[in-house]
Amino acid sequence: MVNLKFAIFKPMLKLAMERTGHGAALGFELTKIGRGEVEMTFPYKLEVVGNPVTGVIHGGVIVSLLDTCCGCAAITTLTRSAVTPTMDLRLDYMHPAEPNKPIYVAAKVYRDTSNVVFCRGSAWQDDQENPIAHCVATFMKVETPSISFGNIVRRNFRRFILGKKVYEQAGDK
Amino acid sequence: MIDQDLKLNLMSARQQLSPQKILDLIPYSSFIGAQAKFDGSEVIYWLDRRPSNIGNPSLPAIHGGVIGGFLELSASIEILYSLDVASIPKVVDFSLDYLRPGRYKTIYAACTVLRQGKNLVNVAATAWQDDASKPIATARCHFLLP
Repeated sequence: MVNLKFAIFKPMLKLAMERTGHGAALGFELTKIGRGEVEMTFPYKLEVVGNPVTGVIHGGVIVSLLDTCCGCAAITTLTRSAVTPTMDLRLDYMHPAEPNKPIYVAAKVYRDTSNVVFCRGSAWQDDQENPIAHCVATFMKVETPSISFGNIVRRNFRRFILGKKVYEQAGDK
Repeated sequence: MIDQDLKLNLMSARQQLSPQKILDLIPYSSFIGAQAKFDGSEVIYWLDRRPSNIGNPSLPAIHGGVIGGFLELSASIEILYSLDVASIPKVVDFSLDYLRPGRYKTIYAACTVLRQGKNLVNVAATAWQDDASKPIATARCHFLLP
């Protein structure tokens, strides 16, 4: 039963991450989703360049990619209705990314407790052993069935499938 | 763009007291929609809400990575604007604490250069939404000067 639920959950997570909001704007692809382990690929894009002289992408993109990847890995460990907001994220940049090359990102949960999920992740281009950035992130487990991932998916099924952006009507909260 | 152009652009932005001119040089800032202005004593950065910055569509909330990217961008602009550097500083590490959820509205940020060494600069950045005394995130980063 748990495995069946997870099998349905995987494509849902992929759609939710790749088709909505900032994920859709960045245009990454989730290439592997396992329990506590997620991998993604991000193609080089001119829109996100941080240094106009060298064409190197901005560090902020790496923050977004690693935050998303670690966040997804944290969600996959959940067994009950809950959300996992990020508590903190720490990144070390080992060397700048090379322009015109895709970036690969992987994240892994290394400790899962009743309240907190501990993750680490890295981003690399040619060699996984020589990463461009490494990060550790911690996530809180907040049990709130109304905004659990499953319910969000159920409520927004059409939007996820069609990739529609209808947030403007939602207004301020 | 070549190094010399960047240097001239940075100098004219400082002379005109316009941090926005520095932001305009960096494609990533228009990708997330970051803006900045000098209000006489410090530089205020802000990020108007837009659908492409949403992380959780149901609440809706701003993507945590966007908040991080925005603070990192603000910190590097702070260095380019307030210190006499000729090219874009390299980020060495970045540490971010999320304090409150980022609601779907404008995010403001302010940065402080805590220490400037010969090679290394430490910058702290804080982000808030309605109330500056209730920050939504704080960040700390080290940059290597070119």
